[in-house]
Amino acid sequence: MLKKTTLNQLSDLAFALMEKGTLVAPVRQNAGFQFREITDAKQVDLNFHNTVISPKSVFFPQTEDFVRYKTGRPVQEAEAVEPQGKPLILFGVRPCDVKSFEIMDIHFSGTGAVDPYWQARREAATIIGYAFDVGAPAESEEFYQTLGIGAADPEGSDIFMVRHGDDLLLKSITGRGEALLAGIGGLTGASADDEKYFDDTVAAGRDFKTRFTCVDAKAITKKLEDLFHHTDFWEKASNACLSCGVCTFVCPTCYCFDICDETLFKQGTRRRVWDACMFTDFTLEASGHNPRTKVYQRLRQKINHKYSYHVRKYGVISCVGCGRCTRYCPVNIDIFSIVEEAMKA
Amino acid sequence: MAVSFQQIEEKLKTEARRLLESGQVSLVLAWGEGYDENHPMPYVAKCPSDADGIVFNEYCTHNPARYLVRYPRGTKIAIAVKAADSRAVVQLIQEDKVKRHDLVILGIPVYGIKNPKTGELIDDRTTCGLYNPVLYDVLIAEEVHGQPVSSPYAVLAEYEAMDQEARFAFWKKELDRCIRCYACRKACPMCYCDPCFIDQNKPKWGEKSPDPAGNLMYHLTRFHHLAGRCIDCGECSRACPVDIPLYLFHKKVAKDCEEMFGQAAGMSIEDKPVLVNFRMEDSDKILE
Repeated sequence: MLKKTTLNQLSDLAFALMEKGTLVAPVRQNAGFQFREITDAKQVDLNFHNTVISPKSVFFPQTEDFVRYKTGRPVQEAEAVEPQGKPLILFGVRPCDVKSFEIMDIHFSGTGAVDPYWQARREAATIIGYAFDVGAPAESEEFYQTLGIGAADPEGSDIFMVRHGDDLLLKSITGRGEALLAGIGGLTGASADDEKYFDDTVAAGRDFKTRFTCVDAKAITKKLEDLFHHTDFWEKASNACLSCGVCTFVCPTCYCFDICDETLFKQGTRRRVWDACMFTDFTLEASGHNPRTKVYQRLRQKINHKYSYHVRKYGVISCVGCGRCTRYCPVNIDIFSIVEEAMKA
Repeated sequence: MAVSFQQIEEKLKTEARRLLESGQVSLVLAWGEGYDENHPMPYVAKCPSDADGIVFNEYCTHNPARYLVRYPRGTKIAIAVKAADSRAVVQLIQEDKVKRHDLVILGIPVYGIKNPKTGELIDDRTTCGLYNPVLYDVLIAEEVHGQPVSSPYAVLAEYEAMDQEARFAFWKKELDRCIRCYACRKACPMCYCDPCFIDQNKPKWGEKSPDPAGNLMYHLTRFHHLAGRCIDCGECSRACPVDIPLYLFHKKVAKDCEEMFGQAAGMSIEDKPVLVNFRMEDSDKILE
């Protein structure tokens, strides 16, 4: 089913979606766009390239409370926080970010160990993807095409949107998407021209060039394994690295977290908080030993995890080429340039 | 006189090669090629042929002084510095994190550096705004005549007009969006504590989660740890992925310090950091 609305009527669409569930969509903030729960339909803004933080934060928020308790001996009160499965509509997700959900599913439910918080939100979510503008060149940080992801790939979305001038075309991809789309009033039917434009855009998205040539995941995996002990290579690659956590926090496929108890005035929560392999204390053991004290060891871990270990273990590169890590790196380190250098080394 | 980035780059390469060939230094800290022209990155040359990789253009914002403490004490290092970067080197010498005689300072008088994220000129609004390095062994280009007419603290006017309550509200709002990636402290040449107070868990000074209370704890403490030490290079603010104007607080504290103790951070290696130095004539204003 292909439907149409205009960008002028975006807030009407947003309003209709808000009646169907919690709407999470791109919102313009001080520092660029972010996915936010929408309270006012006018907040939704599709004039964005991509958000600063990836939409993984919708399913896997930076802070997630597991248990709330009061301290005392014996423990006074403790209450588990139940996973939330309210209907959720995730609106305006770029194709590379949609792909990241599939990769994250491996870790949060696919290997048998199911994370109920991730799963509850994921199952309750309808994903409305949004094609990149295939008429404009890709930003220099992006390389999703290298990883086989099109700029207008509808795969993984329940409904997929393409912008056509001032119009917005919405096509249902799954049954869930179809049900949602059918229930929204105020949309007009699409013409045969619109159908053609939609299909042409999806096809153009497949040929859409991002900056790198295609590469073979297996070859990269092998090469990175061979390079593991070449300390010179990794030291050179990490000379500029500050070892901060920007790259991992904005990344759509980084999933490491820490669990900590945070207590204030006898009220506490046991919560999950994003952690980053780039932090010194990430690998600090209780004994005081730290197997990765050097910056190069941590950067090597990050790159190997995404491009080598992950491929060996799960058969897929844990990166979708969105380019966020490169865009927000304070010292302009580019993850895929390092992989390319490795292939030449 | 316009700055020739090309000439500076050539001179940097020549000096780096000479210093590495003669064995006077074992590494040169400068800038090198990034993934495109607008994104050069900090670079380390370790042998004469590495010198060819040095780049200098209007987007070389990074402060190479940040990397000085990464190398073992006694390593002979040549470091390319812009004005604010040179102040960081001076401050690190004052704090005895690096010895003056272990360094060869390649000073770059320059203006017109731009923020690659926004394309905006980096001037005295977000940094100290000086043109000429305050300390150097080799001058890479002619000194720029004159200094900025406006004060690096002029940008504070609006902030200072706020009362205490408004300031608290301002910082609460700005710091609320912090994601605790710690890019600010990692980009800061003066943040070398190992471990940083916020990473300690005995005692635990602040929460790990990016909640408003923990964010305030982290940033306010960091601001004050940098009192009299921040050399106003602005790297913390540029490193921030969510554009928190950290430089405002640092500038405010720097201004207070300068007014109270008559000394700006990192201007002379003869100075001592204001907060570790006691002088009878010091201001008691802080106690009032």
